[in-house]
Amino acid sequence: MLGTSVEREFKKAILRLVKGGPERLAIEAGQIDAIIDPANGNAILLPDAQRALIERKQVDTLAQDPHRFARAILDALSFPIAALDQAGLVLSANQAWRALAATHRGVGTGVASGSNYLAACDDACGKEEVDGKAIAAGVRQVIGRERAQFRYDCACDSLAGRSWFALRVTGIAGHGEARAVVSCADITERKRAELLLGLEYTVACCLADAGTAAAALQSVIRAMCESQGWDCGRYFSLDQSAGVLRFNESWGIESPAIEQFLEKSRGMVFRPGAGLAGRVCQSGQPLWILHGARDVGVSPMALAPETGENGACVFPVTTDGKVIGVLAFSSSNIRDPDDRMLQAVHSIGSQLGRFLQRQQALVALRRSEMRFRVLSSLASDWYWEQDSDLRLTQVVGCSAFGSADILGMTHWDLPNVVLTEEEWDEHKSQLAARWSFCDFEFATVDPNGLPAYYSISGEPVYDERGAFTGYCGTGVDITKRKRAEIALRESEARLRALVRPPSD
Amino acid sequence: MARKRKDRGASEPAAASTVVVMALYITDSGPNSVRAVANLEAICKEHLQDNFRLEIIDVLQYPLRALADGIVVTPSLAKLFPLPTATVVGNLSDQGGVLRALGIVK
Repeated sequence: MLGTSVEREFKKAILRLVKGGPERLAIEAGQIDAIIDPANGNAILLPDAQRALIERKQVDTLAQDPHRFARAILDALSFPIAALDQAGLVLSANQAWRALAATHRGVGTGVASGSNYLAACDDACGKEEVDGKAIAAGVRQVIGRERAQFRYDCACDSLAGRSWFALRVTGIAGHGEARAVVSCADITERKRAELLLGLEYTVACCLADAGTAAAALQSVIRAMCESQGWDCGRYFSLDQSAGVLRFNESWGIESPAIEQFLEKSRGMVFRPGAGLAGRVCQSGQPLWILHGARDVGVSPMALAPETGENGACVFPVTTDGKVIGVLAFSSSNIRDPDDRMLQAVHSIGSQLGRFLQRQQALVALRRSEMRFRVLSSLASDWYWEQDSDLRLTQVVGCSAFGSADILGMTHWDLPNVVLTEEEWDEHKSQLAARWSFCDFEFATVDPNGLPAYYSISGEPVYDERGAFTGYCGTGVDITKRKRAEIALRESEARLRALVRPPSD
Repeated sequence: MARKRKDRGASEPAAASTVVVMALYITDSGPNSVRAVANLEAICKEHLQDNFRLEIIDVLQYPLRALADGIVVTPSLAKLFPLPTATVVGNLSDQGGVLRALGIVK
């Protein structure tokens, strides 16, 4: 504002100096750079021209000092860059490099000017040892001119979380002091996207390999924790009948505090709207509590009382848009989610939800099958199946034909069956009409020459396209009942013979 | 005389037989001065081909020259020949005005 008012006053003074109409108009239109002082011929610069000339002067001055010029160019670069000498000493580094060295700790990135880059890489220990050795070897090869360039991707930690850098070391030709240039490109966004893509793939594999819901939940929670560096995760399933969330499964890193925390979580129940899990269940939206952040209505200690003031990531597990459970992760390094992360948790929540629903359906089907088998075994002696040619394909629990292999036979081909042609023909006509039949009785002669009696019932079977695929049914040994009936009939006959009055 | 000079001879046939002689007064790399040079070059190329002689005078280097020639502001273009003389002030973005001052159009 001050500059504007000063400039306005200056313009007024200039206009007083200029008498001619065209000149005044050109000044008003901003088309004039300077006016000539009529007293001495000196040019009085207008503000815009003055600024342009000062900038030009600065550029010219900078260009005349090659070192300053080079430094200014390097500092203007947004990515970190440093020059190394023969021994790996950081000769010079740009502003971005200095900022990176000040804020990030990690092999390949946190080496300040004047320090030895190679020594820092050689001294790396722990998880960074492998990276350190690889980078040092590559840098030595470039400095020794065994290779022109060396590239390496490495990670380093800062207060803002883990970052990834693509390190590039390029040799400098000639006999100067500088032998190599190290530059770092921040590839954190790309790496995070790759990690999330990998996580989605891992989750899909976990679900494909898991035999049970419990195994699937454990492997998915573990995959998420390992991928994101989180401490532990818990799954709360929604009990539809009671309308509450109940603790179901968990996974955590090996730590007494985490184990204690997970142990205490067992038996936890949340009403919708209560606690983080309850809030997510009610809203259907993911919830992030960053480490150390104070969320309204949630005590940080409530997230993980045994592990301190942790962050949390809680998101719904859904199927067909309905929440069926909630996954809750606790860790000190939960960071603010980006769009890709939100997309990943939504995708994982949906995948897991679909899997759990399928598992529920599968368990219900298995229970139903089990009930059917129990009931059918109670109601019959054996179970049989036929193909479309009415040949037996499966017989379970039948001892009627001894050790004879009856698979592939029709019922009328069975050995030692006693039944008239007319009776078989009637049965065959029923089968040809694809009718159900019930209590079709026939007799066989057992190895002792005694008759045995059986009754079979069957239903035609069709595939999903409606094509006939055979019959299935059950069989019952009715020998005892039949023999009792025969004995009764014979007894009745004898009794009638005794009580019949003599004819003569 | 030490001057920044751009001198084009009339060795090749031109659209008009008369050679136009001009002087452009500028202030180093002032934004309007830079624009004026660019605008005048475009006008010369399109309308005068090689039939012109142009002298560019930086008033920061030759302050007395502007004073002697009666120049009040920069950039200013002075047509010196053919007579009558004329002066156009500003960054020469008004092409019609420049052409009229140079006598190329009426």
